[in-house]
Amino acid sequence: MAINDYEADATELLETYDFLMKYIVIGEAGTGKSCLLHHFTHNSFKDHSQHTIGVEFSSRTVKLGEKRIKLQLWDTAGQERFRSVTRSYYRGAAGAILVYDITNRDSFTNLGRWLADARTLASPNLVVVLVGNKSDREDDREVEWAEASRWAAENDVHFLEASSLTGENVEAPFLMAARAILLAIESGTLDPEKAGSGVSYGDRALRRVNSSSRLSFGSLSGSARRRGGAVKLKVKSWIPGSKCC
Amino acid sequence: MASLSPRTPSSIARTNSSQSERKASWTAQSRNPVSQRLSKVLGTNFDSEDTRQALRTLSELYATTSKGKEVQAPTSGPTQPMVLTETVPGELAARARKNLRRDMELQLAEGSRKFLQALGEVDTKLGALQTHVAAMRTSCDEAETQLALTNESSKLLLERAGNLRDERQEVEDKKTIITLFLARFTLTELELQALTSRDVPIGQRFFDAMDKTERIREDCRVLMAGEDGSTKAGLEIMASTSTHLEDGYEKILRYCSNEFRKVGRDSQLEVSPVMKQTIQRLRKRPELLTEALSALSETRQATLLSSFIAALTRGGPSGYPRPIELHAHDPMRYVGDMLAWVHQTIAAEREFLESLFGIKSDGRMVGSVRNFSSKAEEEEWIRELMDLAVGKLCVPLKAGFSVRVQQTVRSQESNIVSYKIANLLQFYLMTMRRTIGEDALLSTTLKEITDVAYKVFYDSIEAQSQTLSRIRFDLDDPSLTPPNAILDHSQILREVMQVYQSSLLGTEDEDEINAGFNQVLDIMVDPAVQMCIANSEEKMKARPRWDGQVFILNCLCYLQSVLSTFEFTTQKRAEIQKTIDQRIALLTTEHSDNVLRDAGLWEVAETCKHHETDEPLSRLPSTQPADLQRALQRFSMWLSGLDVVHSPRLSHLTVQKMHTQIHQDALVRLAKEYKMICEEVKKPANRYEAAATLLGSERPFGQVHLLWQIFGLEDKEEEEESSDEGEDEDEDEEEDTEEEGEGEGDSEESEGESEES
Ligand SMILES: Nc1nc2c(ncn2[C@@H]2O[C@H](COP(=O)(O)OP(=O)(O)OP(=O)(O)O)[C@@H](O)[C@H]2O)c(=O)[nH]1
Ligand SMILES: [Mg+2]
Repeated sequence: MAINDYEADATELLETYDFLMKYIVIGEAGTGKSCLLHHFTHNSFKDHSQHTIGVEFSSRTVKLGEKRIKLQLWDTAGQERFRSVTRSYYRGAAGAILVYDITNRDSFTNLGRWLADARTLASPNLVVVLVGNKSDREDDREVEWAEASRWAAENDVHFLEASSLTGENVEAPFLMAARAILLAIESGTLDPEKAGSGVSYGDRALRRVNSSSRLSFGSLSGSARRRGGAVKLKVKSWIPGSKCC
Repeated sequence: MASLSPRTPSSIARTNSSQSERKASWTAQSRNPVSQRLSKVLGTNFDSEDTRQALRTLSELYATTSKGKEVQAPTSGPTQPMVLTETVPGELAARARKNLRRDMELQLAEGSRKFLQALGEVDTKLGALQTHVAAMRTSCDEAETQLALTNESSKLLLERAGNLRDERQEVEDKKTIITLFLARFTLTELELQALTSRDVPIGQRFFDAMDKTERIREDCRVLMAGEDGSTKAGLEIMASTSTHLEDGYEKILRYCSNEFRKVGRDSQLEVSPVMKQTIQRLRKRPELLTEALSALSETRQATLLSSFIAALTRGGPSGYPRPIELHAHDPMRYVGDMLAWVHQTIAAEREFLESLFGIKSDGRMVGSVRNFSSKAEEEEWIRELMDLAVGKLCVPLKAGFSVRVQQTVRSQESNIVSYKIANLLQFYLMTMRRTIGEDALLSTTLKEITDVAYKVFYDSIEAQSQTLSRIRFDLDDPSLTPPNAILDHSQILREVMQVYQSSLLGTEDEDEINAGFNQVLDIMVDPAVQMCIANSEEKMKARPRWDGQVFILNCLCYLQSVLSTFEFTTQKRAEIQKTIDQRIALLTTEHSDNVLRDAGLWEVAETCKHHETDEPLSRLPSTQPADLQRALQRFSMWLSGLDVVHSPRLSHLTVQKMHTQIHQDALVRLAKEYKMICEEVKKPANRYEAAATLLGSERPFGQVHLLWQIFGLEDKEEEEESSDEGEDEDEDEEEDTEEEGEGEGDSEESEGESEES
């Protein structure tokens, strides 16, 4: 019995969440999208990564401050020939992780196209995080941090560099997007109740919401939205590389 | 007192003093009886304590007054000490000696009288005491009797008390046992409530009650399996718990059904731990689980269907993302969006079901109950639920496909689009089969749709190929390059191949890849080849000057070049290559005949080859020395012309290499013919007078190797020549020459092979 109880607890920890968010991971072939995701979900580098065929699905639950967020992750193929397939997966995504390879300038110069696709095909509230992958290969760098950072600022997307090999900053882009989405929900621009928004409430949040007001975010903000005033999210800053689950 | 023998002090003193004397004379007087008697008397010891006491008493009795000593007379009444005053020394002692007896007797009598008197008193007292003792004894006896009686009666009481105590203990034990038994074998009011009441929500309290009920039944079963067999209590317990348990299960079922109806309406699902536990528990009641899951399935079907329809027609919140139908005019996007939506739904649905049944996608069981966690069974449930949940989507999917896609494709008559759609469908068919199984309704529907899409495509390329076969060449068009019809057709083929190439996943083996495209090639390439050949042959009949052979080769080579970009066309290219080779052989024969004619050696060579042996060549019309001379002259002139290096006819071949090859083959034949002529001329049987001079008059002066040099072919061919010369007779040589003239490359190869073997 005792062991069972314990397991049930563990299960609960693992399964329940406050929000469910749909992400797509996009960018040129070979930039390391699959490796980035693999590191994020398995906490290890993916050896012998092959080109992705079409799209692949995975998921992981992360903690952001008090909130537990389940991420449904769609890894897309970067190869041109799959473009017609992958474009269909943008619809209804709440977040996009746009990946380029810092050692491959072409993968950076093509970003505009990727972003335009994402902005037209996904929901208008799509949160985009630009990731310069392979930061471990400093010697082969072809895209400077400053340049990418400028591009990100101009295009209104978040930016950071990461390495799927060393694991550096691998979790940060996903959490960054999650935080931005939570802020959008808080500010009212995004409604998890509506289908196709790419976000929905989890049971945990619903229980909380049901127990108080439907409009309240429970412990998310500590105060009901309708009572007005600017409500600040109390999302604690995360520690990159810290592990949950 | 008897031993007290009063003696005078003097005698005592004497006795004392004589003792030492006696000692001295002891031995001498010992045998004399008198002396013995005497010594015995004398030997009497007065020094004992008794004697001394007696003496002291005596002296006290007769104590002198001066010395304050009084002798008490044994008289009655208060004792009057005998005050004797010694008037004369020794008088007192004498008197004492005289009166001693009497004094003594007096004293004794007095003492006895006092004794008597005292004892009389004692006797009286004792008599009284005796009376008391007797009375006391009576009382004691009485008390003892009483005590015995009391004892008798209290023993009963004690016994009863002991019994009562024992009884109480027993009762208490029983009570404890019964309490324990009740605690163990019956449900408390609270537990009963948890099981049956609608007011107690499903939760830990309920689950605990369920567990307890199960445990009671289990224990009870164990007990009843013992020697005593089933008892009434046991049966009662089993009966009541059975009811409670069923109530509990009913409650779970109600909860699940409600919950499923409620949450099943969300597009995204999450499984609460309570729900997961209820499912685990219901697995002990498969019929109830089926019922609950049916409720779930129904809701999910309806929910997914309406979500799908919303995505198709309404789009996301406030229209973003746009409804899928908005892009129905773009069939690729339309189909792709629909299937991507379905795919994503399947992924989410699968995650939901996996967590509902407590399996992790990697097969790891999370928080599962040990006993009935056969993963296969859960997989089966999941498979079935998935099938049902997404099965409903087939209707709009199919409708969307046949109404929108098929129509669009037909109207556009675009083979490329239809092929793209077919490949896209094929891609999703593979994906879905992997996710929900081959037999799932969605898979079979998708297979149907895919087949239709392929059929549409095959029909369209078939139709395209048919239009090709209806084409007739313009007889007055002199051009020898592939006609527009072939160019257009090839363009379509190229695009189709492109689409096929990009639809490959990289996991197929070569055979699979080829098999996937052979049908297309058969449909598209074969008619094109046939059309070119048939049309050309017709045109050649009508326009003999039009070079159909070169045209056909040009067309075939063009098709070949179109195919050669893709590896999966190898088989078709080999087929075409065969046709090309045949055509090359034909053209080579034609061309070398022409070259022979142009070079002026045709007739000479013909005569050489066909003349009767008994007739010398020099006598025959075309090989008479003069005619031969003329022919050689013409050959010499031809040799200095441009045609040696370049054939105007072959220059129309688009493949330069082919031109070179065919022309070289023709030159080789020419050289061989010349050599043959030289040899014939040199033969004495042919009766030429100055054969060497005749041949030497014109270039190449009868020297075959010179000819090879002019043709730029010398070395290799000469070697071959010499080896030929060594081995072959004339007739063989003729055959060789012909063979080599037809297809130099081929015969060379076969020769090489036969030599080796
Ligand atoms: N050094 C280094 N190599 C990496 C890193 N991330 C990925 N790679 C390598 O980059 C290659 C491509 O990685 P993938 O993850 O397959 O690329 P992808 O973006 O998924 O490619 P597609 O699926 O074709 O779109 C692999 O050989 C990886 O080993 C990184 O952070 N550092
Ligand atoms: Mg990939």
